[in-house]
Amino acid sequence: MLEVGGKTILTRLVDALRPHVGRIHVVVGYREELIIEYCALHHRDVILVRNPEFRTTNTAQSMNLGAAGVRGKVLFLDGDLIIDENSLASFIATAAAHPLLVGIAPTRSEQAVCVQLSKDDPAQVCGFTRNDALPFEWANVVAGPADLLADASGYVFEKLLEFLPIAAQEIDLREVDTPADLDSATIYAASLRGGNLR
Amino acid sequence: MSTAFCFDLDGTLTSIEILPCIASELGVAEEIATLTRVTMSGLISFEESMRLRSLILGQVPLRRVHEIVGSIPLDPFLTDFISGHEADCFIVTGNLDLWISPLVERLGCRSFTSCASSQEGKVRVDHVLDKGTAVSEVRLLGYERIIAVGDGANDVPMLRKADAGIAFGGVHSPMPAAVKESNYVVHDGRSLCNLLTAL
Repeated sequence: MLEVGGKTILTRLVDALRPHVGRIHVVVGYREELIIEYCALHHRDVILVRNPEFRTTNTAQSMNLGAAGVRGKVLFLDGDLIIDENSLASFIATAAAHPLLVGIAPTRSEQAVCVQLSKDDPAQVCGFTRNDALPFEWANVVAGPADLLADASGYVFEKLLEFLPIAAQEIDLREVDTPADLDSATIYAASLRGGNLR
Repeated sequence: MSTAFCFDLDGTLTSIEILPCIASELGVAEEIATLTRVTMSGLISFEESMRLRSLILGQVPLRRVHEIVGSIPLDPFLTDFISGHEADCFIVTGNLDLWISPLVERLGCRSFTSCASSQEGKVRVDHVLDKGTAVSEVRLLGYERIIAVGDGANDVPMLRKADAGIAFGGVHSPMPAAVKESNYVVHDGRSLCNLLTAL
């Protein structure tokens, strides 16, 4: 519900996703009533998926809940991202040709999960690490089968270790985790092209 | 997997609440709407409320009730969904069979309703439906999975007993009690049908 440049991150994500996906599921837990009310007013076409166990579950489990029972391919992404719409569209188009596609971005996060890219094919992730300051980090975006995270108990990237090597594509986005992120995200949001600033 | 779909009627399948429409014949639409809201919130029991509303609205001739009910608008997306899955869809409503039969006929699927009879021009409520019991009966038909859609406090037993519950806010926001028992919250008929098809 955080606003960046006068628009909530949720609205930015929904607006960016809507032209490219058949349905948007938003998993809600903490203060769910606020998000439900917000969507009732502004995003009536969104499916809200409740996670009453949000206090004891992690992102991977929430994402799995969001995709529960759904058939086909799903784009899983964190709710604190501001994404360039054209970059997102390109990612989704590429994902159609791969069973699994991981989003990567130039490393900016304070505690980044970096990706090790294949030397033979830089469009393939062959490992994840918290230890090395590598040029690219895991962008918290992945497209794959709806049951991708069915038995995940840790972080999403830990589940992805089972499928290495995985096709990867750079995606232009910013994550808003900290007050410093918010400042840089505000500048980033203002720089996005017209299509992102509806 | 065989799946049954159970739908609340008032404010879920219908685009407006039915009883306040009947009440307008008596000039008490606002009063009945208030009673309906209080009931949906769970502040009084559905059975008490239904009996009270039936006592008041029973003054409207049955033929007129059917004319009113017959003209109640239905959500077009949900109507289409039911039309395409008629054998596996069920209307589960606390409203009276006596009153809603025109809508049940329009929708074409099976139904679980409260039961009433008309005697000497008066409506007598014979049985008020427990929606949880209806879900149990649907399950006995052999369905492996039941998906329920509702919006009010009287939908709680149905949502609780279903395998997946959807709180629907097509007409007004679903009541907190219904949300609490649901896996999903949806505010749009098209999106709801999209989800029902996907699950």
